[in-house]
Amino acid sequence: MTQAHDTRFKGAQTYVLDPELASIVNISMTLEMPLLLKGEPGTGKTMLAHAIAETLAMPLIILNVKSSMKLVEALYQYDTLTRLNDSRFGDSNRDVSNIDAYIKMGKIGQAFGADERTVLLIDEIDKADTDFQDDMLDVLDQMQFDIIETDRRVTAKNRPVIIITSNAKKDLSDPFLGRCNFHHIAFPEPKMMRKIIGVHFPGLDQKLAENAISAFYSLREIDGIEKKPATRELINWIRALDADPDFRAKDLVKGSMPFLGVLFKKSPDYERARGMTARRKMF
Amino acid sequence: MFLKFFYTLKDVGVPVSPTAFLTLQKALHRGLITSLDDFYTCARAILVKSERYFDLYDQVFSHHFEGVPLPEDAGFEIDEMARGLLDEWLKNPKKVADALGVSEDQLKKMSPEDLIDYFKKRLKDQDGRHDGGNKWIGTGGTSPVGHSGFHPGGMRVGGESRNKSAVKVANERRYKDYSTKGPLTQAKIGEALKRLRHMIPDGPKDQINVDETIRETLRNGGEIELVFERAMKDRLKVILAIDNGGWSMDPYIRLVQTLFDYARSQFKEVKTYFFHNTIYDYLWEDPARYKKPKKVMDFSRLDPDTRLIVVGDASMAPYELMAHDGSIHITERSGRPSIEQLKFLTETFSHSVWLNPVSQSMWGYTHTIMAISKIFPMYELSLDGLEGAVSRLMEKT
Repeated sequence: MTQAHDTRFKGAQTYVLDPELASIVNISMTLEMPLLLKGEPGTGKTMLAHAIAETLAMPLIILNVKSSMKLVEALYQYDTLTRLNDSRFGDSNRDVSNIDAYIKMGKIGQAFGADERTVLLIDEIDKADTDFQDDMLDVLDQMQFDIIETDRRVTAKNRPVIIITSNAKKDLSDPFLGRCNFHHIAFPEPKMMRKIIGVHFPGLDQKLAENAISAFYSLREIDGIEKKPATRELINWIRALDADPDFRAKDLVKGSMPFLGVLFKKSPDYERARGMTARRKMF
Repeated sequence: MFLKFFYTLKDVGVPVSPTAFLTLQKALHRGLITSLDDFYTCARAILVKSERYFDLYDQVFSHHFEGVPLPEDAGFEIDEMARGLLDEWLKNPKKVADALGVSEDQLKKMSPEDLIDYFKKRLKDQDGRHDGGNKWIGTGGTSPVGHSGFHPGGMRVGGESRNKSAVKVANERRYKDYSTKGPLTQAKIGEALKRLRHMIPDGPKDQINVDETIRETLRNGGEIELVFERAMKDRLKVILAIDNGGWSMDPYIRLVQTLFDYARSQFKEVKTYFFHNTIYDYLWEDPARYKKPKKVMDFSRLDPDTRLIVVGDASMAPYELMAHDGSIHITERSGRPSIEQLKFLTETFSHSVWLNPVSQSMWGYTHTIMAISKIFPMYELSLDGLEGAVSRLMEKT
């Protein structure tokens, strides 16, 4: 953590940073605009926020968006049930007449209230409906919101670094896009992937890494796979291969693919991949 | 600063907003952007909000900073084809020489640019003549100048090495796969699926939702408030007929099937049938077109509201479409020419479309495409085409 005072983001221990993305992250931080990241699952959208928080030594606050979520849940919650209980039994040390004691901050509220600058990750925003997105815009734009019950205004002490990810399930609204910077993370090329694997497994056998990566890319090429294996799956796969004492790196070239279940999580995908590899073995 | 760049982006159809432009100015003003590389990435992050436009952005960027000419309309497809031609030229100069009608020696003297120019000229000539039957631009057969389709980052016309300066990166057009024009690829499946999501029922709201009714009634202070909903049975039925004969369709079959498999849950049912080139008496349920034939005439018993989507390149010899017993399969003999069968299908299903992987600009050159597009509303199998097809399918009659 020698770089704690350097406010520019340069990549973290286990995150290989594309220079293009680095400059986008830095510019969004300086302009104090949210950064919207799109891309295939497994391209490291969420990991980026973790990496930023780690390198810049800022606390990370994660808001996992769910489909039924209302914006208010992300801001604060008024715990009426506890208050009712307290007023009936009177055995807590909270002041029942003070509503503020029953307001719990949600993730966005926590990020606003924090004493230092935080990294706020809003994960998979596209799961929620457009209302959620539009309402959130205003909050993020103004960096403040009102607690209706107490008529109190919460203003951000420090503008958090906001990273928003989307899996492109739904289109985001134009005004929303207008207020974010945008980047699309493409799936890493083999060269980049070698670096990523190198960072995760420093002492890994070179041959194993090379064969596993090329096998991985050829498996990704199989048509009609519903959920293509991503970086996360590759890392787990290599971990599995590395742990198996019977496994030889050259087996992969011959076409035998152990632990396919690590790569393919859906049963039709698994079947198809197994069929393809079995066929290759025969020739 | 960079006003012209901004307006060129706007002109080519990238949705850019003045606010974003001001943000870019702010970034420039603060000294955050110190090199062209920085400008490339930052301007893109700030101005362009969807990967769909990254390709256009790349083109405009290299045009503005390097003077690379912007492609004219339909230039894209010619580029694609030109690239295919160049590839072929490297592999097999003789074949290309024959196809273009120049001698091999002459061809050897041509630089790639000359070759492309010559090729484009030929293409324009052909545009002027309306006989439409010039083999070498069709999609069928072994013609070297076919629709080359998948060459993202394949051979580049300039052929420069991979050097990471911004202009060259822009020139590589890495985001071509995400652009809305051009043939559908696996990478675009998510986007394509979004287009299909518009195929939602539009029936009357005629079912009472009891829970909502009670809630609304209470909110209304006891005054009864009925809440109606659309019935689930209004969801669409879809018949997908895919041409799976011949190599020209191979890249698209899996793609189209995957696409509709993903969307399956939003439809009441999706049935897939197969045919070769065009439809005669039968469609087949099995891809081998052998075990499970289904009589086309029996389709008249199906719900006429079913949406029929035919996917095929519609390219074949004219007699296959027009003649009685036109099928190239000897076992398939019927009294009616295929074109009658197609007409019958469109009459049976009022909502039907034909999706064609052949680029629209090439349709005029194939007789059978023109003939079929007179019967079926035909759309290109691209994101834009899919959008058009979906809105056509959802039209009210």
